[in-house]
Amino acid sequence: MGLLTRKLILFGICLAIAVVLVIRLIQLQLLNQEEYGRESQKNAVKTITITPARGLMFGRNNQIVVDNRPTYTVTITPNEFDTTKFAEVSLLLGIPEDKLKEELRKVKGTNRFNPQRIKRDVDFKTIAYIAENEKLLHGVDYQVESLRLYSDKFRASHIFGYVKEISEKQLANQIGDYYKQGDLIGVKGLEKTYEDYLRGEKGYEFVNVDVKGREIGSVNDGRDDILPVNGSDIYLSMDEQLQEYTEMLMKNKRGAVIAMDPRNGEILCMVSNPDFDLNIFSGPTDPKILSALMTDKDKPMFNRVTMTNYPPGSTWKMMMGLAGLASGDITTTSTISCPGAFVYGGRTFGDHGAYGSINITRALEVSANTFFYKLALQLGLDNYHKYSAMFGFGKKTGIDISDELPGRLPSVEYYNKVYGVGKWTQGFIVSLGIGQGELGVTPVQMVAYTSAIAMDGLYTTPHFVRKIVNSNTKEEIYPTFKTTKIDFPQKWFDAIKKGMFLVVNGNGTAKGIKNSMYTLAGKTGTAQTQGNNHSWFVGYAPYEDPKIAICVLGENAGWGAQFAAPLAAAVMVRYLSGNTIDSFDEEGVKIFQTVD
Amino acid sequence: MTDFFKRFDIVLLLISISIVTVGLVAIYSATYTGESASTYFSRQFLFAGISVVVLIIVTYLPPKTLAKFSYYFYGLSLLLLILVLFFGKKISGQKSWFSVGGFGIQPSEFAKLTTIMALASFLSNDENENKLSNLKNFIIAIAIIAMPVILIMRQPDMGTALVFLSFIIPVFFWAGLSPYWIIAIISPVIIALAAFFGDIYFYIAIALLGLGLVLFKQRYIVTAVIVLINIGVGFGTEYAYEKLAPYQQKRIMAVFDPTTDPLGSGYNVIQSKVAIGSGGFFGKGFLQGTQTQLKFIPEQWTDFIFCMIGEEFGFLGAFIIILLYCILIFKLINNAYLCKNRFLGICCIGFASIFLFHLFINIGMTIGLMPVIGIPLPLVSYGISSLLSFMIMIGIAMNAYRNRNIYI
Repeated sequence: MGLLTRKLILFGICLAIAVVLVIRLIQLQLLNQEEYGRESQKNAVKTITITPARGLMFGRNNQIVVDNRPTYTVTITPNEFDTTKFAEVSLLLGIPEDKLKEELRKVKGTNRFNPQRIKRDVDFKTIAYIAENEKLLHGVDYQVESLRLYSDKFRASHIFGYVKEISEKQLANQIGDYYKQGDLIGVKGLEKTYEDYLRGEKGYEFVNVDVKGREIGSVNDGRDDILPVNGSDIYLSMDEQLQEYTEMLMKNKRGAVIAMDPRNGEILCMVSNPDFDLNIFSGPTDPKILSALMTDKDKPMFNRVTMTNYPPGSTWKMMMGLAGLASGDITTTSTISCPGAFVYGGRTFGDHGAYGSINITRALEVSANTFFYKLALQLGLDNYHKYSAMFGFGKKTGIDISDELPGRLPSVEYYNKVYGVGKWTQGFIVSLGIGQGELGVTPVQMVAYTSAIAMDGLYTTPHFVRKIVNSNTKEEIYPTFKTTKIDFPQKWFDAIKKGMFLVVNGNGTAKGIKNSMYTLAGKTGTAQTQGNNHSWFVGYAPYEDPKIAICVLGENAGWGAQFAAPLAAAVMVRYLSGNTIDSFDEEGVKIFQTVD
Repeated sequence: MTDFFKRFDIVLLLISISIVTVGLVAIYSATYTGESASTYFSRQFLFAGISVVVLIIVTYLPPKTLAKFSYYFYGLSLLLLILVLFFGKKISGQKSWFSVGGFGIQPSEFAKLTTIMALASFLSNDENENKLSNLKNFIIAIAIIAMPVILIMRQPDMGTALVFLSFIIPVFFWAGLSPYWIIAIISPVIIALAAFFGDIYFYIAIALLGLGLVLFKQRYIVTAVIVLINIGVGFGTEYAYEKLAPYQQKRIMAVFDPTTDPLGSGYNVIQSKVAIGSGGFFGKGFLQGTQTQLKFIPEQWTDFIFCMIGEEFGFLGAFIIILLYCILIFKLINNAYLCKNRFLGICCIGFASIFLFHLFINIGMTIGLMPVIGIPLPLVSYGISSLLSFMIMIGIAMNAYRNRNIYI
């Protein structure tokens, strides 16, 4: 092949490539110019996002319990930002330079033309500096944003929960594209459950910009702008005064209290202690404080109302009675002999005393273990599981705050899985009869179950929100929660309730809380654990016409009668008296003993 | 005076200076902040001046000296490529820059030049016209190219590494390798692409390849082996694609359809197409392009500078710049043809290939024809290393024109 041929071949290749490029340019610039012109026009429109104020929360007596306060948020528009100013801005905002760079690097595509929120809750001095040095700090700006403001009377941290800047993972997994980097989203408690109502809808303003990015007037005279819609307010069943009172009682204690109206499932107060200060999460969170919270050995972030897995002890005995009545193993009048101890499979199961042959009501009053050991054996694991599940055990109640766990209700499958088929005996069920063993419950399950007994089988889902009010249309939404009727004969409930009445008003373990003001009914429980026992009490009042049901758990606080019962009684009396009676004197001494 | 013009390639010089000027205008606009010229512009302007001086010096160097020093330049380039891996500045995950007194030096840009020179020197150091038919020589020639490629891939800068593969075929072709072997070398790339697009394309490509090679009437056993290797490559490509992580597949798919990843790897292409497409026939005017001035396109003063030309100067401006490149590449090829000195001739062909490859890939990616591969538009994109390196190439081509009648 001669040199000339080779030269011509190379010329040909060069020409061919040039022709391909030119044809493509004709296609883009001459044939499709209009389409791309429109696209570039769109890019010359700046979209200003207006974040709405988050919805407020109101208490039972219509006081604002979660409010907003206006704050300044510093923003940076990555595309306008002069990258030589990183050090200056880092110093100004107190954010390490690396972190600042990383924040801006994360912003992709056309989002780089929108202001990105860099630091929330910035003081006025900093804002004044930014405003004065507008020219020097090109692309650095601020917005007014509302952050949460909480009552100083109570914390209710596990109820309200908090909002946090949306994570990259949440952004990637969201359905639709509502959330953008830097947006706040509810991650715990009511803030999470009612996020869709509380957040509102963002508004958008469209502004034309010239080639220098200067705003030159709104698009279409603002007719295309979308107004923001403020978040809906939510009205809670939580009683502000009762919450404050209960938190005071639980101060420096480790445990949980939840009280609800058994007639409709409305939660009146809920405390999980130790708790934390929600103000930590409003505005920028100090990583040191956060990690201290996370690693605290008392686990303040752990919701003891909805996430525990403790055995309920003797507060379980009503459940056993109901299961026995339902299965036909006992009747309201049949008796079981309780000689003071029970031997099964070569092992002796203890009791508090010898009671002779007693019926279910008496067995509850004196908390006779032997009665329930024997009953459990007769009942068998399948019936045990079947009837307990009817009262909500082993599954989440559906309370409208996040992070609820189902506890653990043992079944044949459970034991087969843990110990292997044929590797366990009926003897395992003996301890389950008195609320020990593998059984695990949460206080919210316990209060729902107590309510169902008080209401003769009406099981309501514990919840906080009574109504949601759209801030724009004032339209009211009443959320509904599941209610089930457990269809047992009235006399079964009467027998159980009578037992609970006698626990307080007869010769039972909680006679210390008997008083002349309100007839209380309930059951104490002492859950054996490593270390000091957990103290339980479940109950309701008034006995004749229940208006409040309660569950109190004291972690490692001793017997049920020691800690849980007086505290529960104090809360119930306080509520029923319209928040006027304080059952404890200043030294924390129970005054019930003198009332009697 | 006539003698001066007979020996001085004034056309090539004027074309080059025109392209550099367009580049300066483009950089001015692409980095315009609304007040004054940016430091990018003033630096490029300074080095444009310096590079013209260097170009003239190179034009007047004796060809013998150039050929002799080629290996030293090549060795120095390799050394710099090694050093940059250790002492280079890491920018967006790549170690390809030295920072010297505030200026960035990119050794891989100079390696393009020195590798071609070393290769030309090797292919022309004796009178053997058919040097590449000898397997040993062929392997040495490939090794000369492979060494910088491996080092650049370590940075890692795949785009620049790819540039080195672009001149193998044209240079070998010019140096006398038979078209049969040329086809054999190119075929795996084409087969891999065909296999990626679908089985049908793969089968058609294999059939065409077999048929084409048979027509050369070389030993059939060799042809059979080549075809078999290609079949292997085809299936290997499909297998390799299946093995990729979904995000890697997504990135490859975004090359063919940028809308599948509008905020990630597809973003630049979408915005650059909008910029160029909205330019229309006459463009929006200097400093009037919204896409450019609002900085919608990242790296619009380096790899994506063609967007500014397309948007602000329209089809007319884009067509003229492509035309200027065509004339420049034609001149380089023609100088190779005219030049009796084999070293300078092969150099010119190598340089022409590099210009053409950059042109096709760089403009191609901004208009959505080619995948996004970060290589500059020659003489236009901001970057003093690439500007200087390309201007030296022009200088050597002018040297070839000047000494076209001298054999050695």
